[in-house]
Amino acid sequence: MRYLLFTISLLAPLFLTAQTTVSGTVTDPSGIPIPGANIYLEGTYDGASSTDTGSFSFTTAETGDQILVVSFLSFETFILNATVNEMKNLKITLKEDVNSLGSVILNAGTFSAGDNSKASVLTPLDIVTTAGAAGDYIGAFQTLPGTSTVAEDGRLFVRGGDANEANVYIDGLRVFQPFSATANNIPTRGRFSPFLFKGTNFSTGGYSAEYGDALSSVLLLNTIDQPEQEKTDLSFISVGLGVGNTQKWEKNSLSINAFYLNLKPYQEVISQRVDWIKPFESLSGEAVYRHQFNNGLFKLYGGLNYADFELIQEDINIPEGINFGLTNRNLYLNASYKGELGNDWTLATGVSFANDHNDIKIEDTNVDSDDNSAHLKVKLRKRFNNRFKLNFGIEQFLGDFKEDVSATTFGNFQSSFNNNSTAVFGEANIFFNKKLAMQVGIRGTHNSLLDITRISPRASLAYKIAEKSQVSLAYGDFYQAPQQDVLKYNSSLDPEKSSHYILNYLYQNNGRTLRAEAYYKGYDRLVKFDTELPEFGSTFTNNGDGYAAGLDLYWRDNKSFKNFEYWASYSYLDTKRNYRNYPERATPNFAAKHNLSLVGKYWVQDWKSLISTTYNFASGRPYTDPNTPDFLGSKTRTFNSLNMSWAYLISQQKILFVSVSNVIGFDNVFNYQYANTPDVNGNFARRAIRPTADRFFIVGFFWTISDDKTDNQLDNL
Amino acid sequence: MKTIILIASFFIVLTSNAQQAYEKGMGKAFELWGNQKNDDAANLFERIGRAEKDNWLPFYYAAQIHIIKTFNTKDAEEIESRLKKAQNYLNEAKTFSKDNAEILILEAMLNTAYVVYDGTKYGMTHSPKVEELYQRAKKLEPENPRATLYHAEWQMGAAKFWGKDPKAFCPEIEKAILYFEKESNTTPFYPDWGKDQIKRIQQNCE
Repeated sequence: MRYLLFTISLLAPLFLTAQTTVSGTVTDPSGIPIPGANIYLEGTYDGASSTDTGSFSFTTAETGDQILVVSFLSFETFILNATVNEMKNLKITLKEDVNSLGSVILNAGTFSAGDNSKASVLTPLDIVTTAGAAGDYIGAFQTLPGTSTVAEDGRLFVRGGDANEANVYIDGLRVFQPFSATANNIPTRGRFSPFLFKGTNFSTGGYSAEYGDALSSVLLLNTIDQPEQEKTDLSFISVGLGVGNTQKWEKNSLSINAFYLNLKPYQEVISQRVDWIKPFESLSGEAVYRHQFNNGLFKLYGGLNYADFELIQEDINIPEGINFGLTNRNLYLNASYKGELGNDWTLATGVSFANDHNDIKIEDTNVDSDDNSAHLKVKLRKRFNNRFKLNFGIEQFLGDFKEDVSATTFGNFQSSFNNNSTAVFGEANIFFNKKLAMQVGIRGTHNSLLDITRISPRASLAYKIAEKSQVSLAYGDFYQAPQQDVLKYNSSLDPEKSSHYILNYLYQNNGRTLRAEAYYKGYDRLVKFDTELPEFGSTFTNNGDGYAAGLDLYWRDNKSFKNFEYWASYSYLDTKRNYRNYPERATPNFAAKHNLSLVGKYWVQDWKSLISTTYNFASGRPYTDPNTPDFLGSKTRTFNSLNMSWAYLISQQKILFVSVSNVIGFDNVFNYQYANTPDVNGNFARRAIRPTADRFFIVGFFWTISDDKTDNQLDNL
Repeated sequence: MKTIILIASFFIVLTSNAQQAYEKGMGKAFELWGNQKNDDAANLFERIGRAEKDNWLPFYYAAQIHIIKTFNTKDAEEIESRLKKAQNYLNEAKTFSKDNAEILILEAMLNTAYVVYDGTKYGMTHSPKVEELYQRAKKLEPENPRATLYHAEWQMGAAKFWGKDPKAFCPEIEKAILYFEKESNTTPFYPDWGKDQIKRIQQNCE
């Protein structure tokens, strides 16, 4: 008997369990049934898939409190805590997953590139295969709308702002000298090799409260988290040599990269308009070390750059020219950590440091400058759910600038200042649903040098008007401390201010993108001075102001033609400002009314070649002709440039690359320099400021050595 | 003593009970899959995986269904959500079984799916991953027939793209055939698929 009882008690769970039925329907927020959703009791085998009508029904032996889970692709998982008996005729509405591909994006003012972002306008390859960019990561961005072609400078001029109004960040930390040192009217390049970055965000306005001290634009570069494989890269270019190596071990990886550039052999073959005494020579080294922790990633970037050149600068007032020599040494360190703290908190923190040393010789004047800058930042992010996220943080900027000018005529002059500022920021990211999203933020900055605190609000809103298109709006106030050339003489000024108002339309359909953005930007408190250049004894005020308004259009099509991708950008710009030494409001020399870029890339399978063409057009730029009474009243001729490049893939790991800028040889003029005094006929003579050479040629051979033989340096060109 | 026997037998019944449920569930899931009820099958695999808690196989198969499904799907949003879901399943599978060649092979196929779906967007970033995953899988199990076969197919594709002779990888297929014959694993439901793809891939060798 005992034995029987024992057996029964063992088998009881198998035969005698009561079955309860769980049933209901699953729909989306608009009431449309969702078929194929997975409905189950957590921790059990009991469950079902919803039918075509969204209904489901299954039996379970479980009793009491249980957790019912309902999950489906591109919807948020639904969880119900209840007793099994209550799980009958349930009406379950799944919320759309706002992170899925079809959701609205907060993109007013921003171009993303590379990091598989939904709003990406450029692929990683574009940044480096755009003809005319010549491996400079800035080059590809200059083909986007909102930028002005200022070919003699090389930096980014965004929406009527000058190049100082744009800041560059790497992994959220400020880069203090993103561009190589150069002389007047000789274009500069970005200091960093493009293949270090996995993704880029280029904001032409209305950007997040996380970033400050820039009136017009921020360029956010993110370094690669983990390299895919170990490899060695060798580059042999007509103007230099490069070597790179990547190693991976356990949870670490290290990439090092060195480049030597010397323009001397090139300039001996191709004649130049500039009289070089010592052609540009530079040596740069970069290293990135990454360590993966269980819950985070640490990255350390270090770059050291040394550049040296000397030339005779043409000048209309000095027939024999001006002797200009420069030696620059730049050290940049950037250490960042990003990790999970648990409970949906994320920490991003880091520090960047730059030491920039210039030794400049202008005739018999020597300028020695030393600039130490640092940025420290702590940012926390709390994800309450998919729809509500909060970011906030604090950051400190330190700047220590010293300059020593000595000349036989006036002896020795020293200037120095400490430009320190502290900022706090907070921003909320809210998705009301898949169609409507909003970001609101606020930033407070205290500048200790100027002893001034400013609060800037930022907001953006995006609404999806149809399946493939959306409209967004952005507003923000932006402050920026006056530039170094002013601060070294006067530090009792206000920060300069701009306000952005942006309206954006975006249409994305299967490889085709149309983006139209209209904007208005108001400038206020711009620095003015009463001498030609800022100097000791100038009178400085904050009485300048101005505006920029315009329309940016971007069209990209990857699908209509096989193996052919193209994009077109057009910018209309109406801007006037009264700043620096301007006697009145005028359109500055760097601002052309119309800018157009056409970029095409054709992959020729039979030739294993990527052929790329870029055409840039800019309408005439204003200049002042002293033979007329108007200030900035004349216009240069239009700018035209047709650039071509050809990358031939000899094998999977060997690439031959040829690039020519301004193939047709348009005779471009950027500006004019006029004589200080009129000639015998009462006319002021002039000299055209033109490119150092009409064309620039690059021939290169790139070789990647790795175990798996599939990688190459196409992303390096 | 009696108590011990009682307790022990109780556990035996419980385990075999759970084991039966697992085998029944997996059998049912494969049956659904065989009847083209892909999403139902994937859902069931997911449920089994969540109930079992320490078994990588159900998540592995749930991922595989989503990956295969993307090869004949056109809608970008659906492809992206399926691949995202598949990656999540594989991540779960990996927490239960580290350094598992089969999971790496499937992850290589998942990355291949990204490249097939949008080469300009994902080609540069995902192609090296595919290669690395196959190499890691082969390092763990040099005689894995799926790693050998599908790596050969991937390399043949690359060779064709570069205008080279894909036949160079035909000996690899012969090796894979050999490995398929040698393959034996006693774990129920252990992956053993792929044999039927040999003919298709061998067409490159004619």
